[in-house]
Amino acid sequence: MKNSYLADITRGIFKENPTFRLVLGMCPTLAVTVLVKNGLGMGLAVVAVLTCSNIVISSLRRFIPEQVRIPCYIVIIATFVSIVEMVLQAFVPSLYAALGVFVPLIVVNCIILGRAEAFAGKQPVLRSLCDGIGSGLGFTLGLLLLSLVREVFGNGTLLAETNYAVQLFGPNFEPMRLLAQPAGAFLVLGLLLALTNIVFKRLQIE
Amino acid sequence: MSDLKHLLKIILTLVVVTAVSAGLLAGANLLTAPIIARQQEEKYRAALQEYFPQAADYKRENLEGDAFDLVYDAAGGLLGVMASTAVQGYGGPISYNLAVDKEGRIVGLRIVEHSETQGVGDVIEKSQFQQQFIGKGYRDPLKPGEDVDTVSGATISTSSLIESIRSLLTVVAENFLQLEDEEAIDISAVPDGTYRGTGEGLFDKIVVDVTVAGGRITVIEIVEHSETPTYMAEAAALIPPQIIDQQSLDVDTKTGATGSSNGIVEAVRDALIRALNPEGGENNEE
Repeated sequence: MKNSYLADITRGIFKENPTFRLVLGMCPTLAVTVLVKNGLGMGLAVVAVLTCSNIVISSLRRFIPEQVRIPCYIVIIATFVSIVEMVLQAFVPSLYAALGVFVPLIVVNCIILGRAEAFAGKQPVLRSLCDGIGSGLGFTLGLLLLSLVREVFGNGTLLAETNYAVQLFGPNFEPMRLLAQPAGAFLVLGLLLALTNIVFKRLQIE
Repeated sequence: MSDLKHLLKIILTLVVVTAVSAGLLAGANLLTAPIIARQQEEKYRAALQEYFPQAADYKRENLEGDAFDLVYDAAGGLLGVMASTAVQGYGGPISYNLAVDKEGRIVGLRIVEHSETQGVGDVIEKSQFQQQFIGKGYRDPLKPGEDVDTVSGATISTSSLIESIRSLLTVVAENFLQLEDEEAIDISAVPDGTYRGTGEGLFDKIVVDVTVAGGRITVIEIVEHSETPTYMAEAAALIPPQIIDQQSLDVDTKTGATGSSNGIVEAVRDALIRALNPEGGENNEE
């Protein structure tokens, strides 16, 4: 039984990674990954929302009638997103300012509704909790990789706007501004998708 | 019967889910709202203290939806005004604070919130862009590309902010600092000749030729305009004779064609300024 909880977590990170395998939730993935700080912040916000909504939806799965499950899911997800938004604004205002409209847009993030519909609506609470953490971490991993590449090459920094900011290159370094632009997000995402596909093929993970 | 029961269950579920959700949100809001408000207030006060180091007290006034804080020192003397407003940028409203000293010069600009494109329009946050406003007075033209630079690629973000700052500065100078609107021009110092000037009418540029002879304005001819013909005719019939009659630009422009009238006055002023500073290089054509 223990194994199945662990499998629920790792499945979301690797085999069904939301960014690289399912290609879900692309809107925030492309938009906020300019800096590692933003990517990580967005990822963790999704972990929080996804875990909470999975728990609630799973525990209510016997009470919610089939016909109105989607509206119920959306209301539950939107509630957690709004709470996360208020908490971010109150305690991490700089991150809240950087993520902007993409915090409220977590409501329509396909991963969250996807996990609710495909998993939490049918599975017991503990497994849904693990699934939420796993998928959330998988999403965070995707954002982290993407923002890492974009920040290092597009901005020439690491962990900018935090207390651990590092200027990576000398003063004459001219960053590839394109990577910090939306078009650069597509390019980097495409390259990373290709790379993960190769890695998965080599490791023979289906 | 079972259909009805099922329907009731659906309704009840939705009601309960939304009610619980509303309750949770109200609770979260109750907890975080004071923290958020305090943070914003603290940031605002810190900025105010930075722009007016001697500030001891301030009094808030509201005008047309914008907030203006009149800042006083410990002795009760007016130091200046900190104004808060918002302007439509490229990605949404840009809300900002503008600190103006009592001579009508900008001492601080602070962007509070904006939704401009990351990496493009967010240059308005950069101090390099903001610094060029510092020290500018309400008489400065503050024209995009002239005495303040827009940023290419972010023209809408920067020029809408510049326009807004100019009009806010005028509002502050006229309403709270009681400064005269425009610099008086000494017409008697203008050498004889005909000078061309442009002003901003209701729709587009108004171009006039002003002839000065013996230190007096003798002829004002409207060369070019895009105003509504009937209004422009009214303005053209009223304003130039008044200016020539009074030898002053301080004429009553509330004519029913105020936009066009103001444009004519502005154009005449522009012509006279050019006449007084021929080598001033104020060539803003093209």
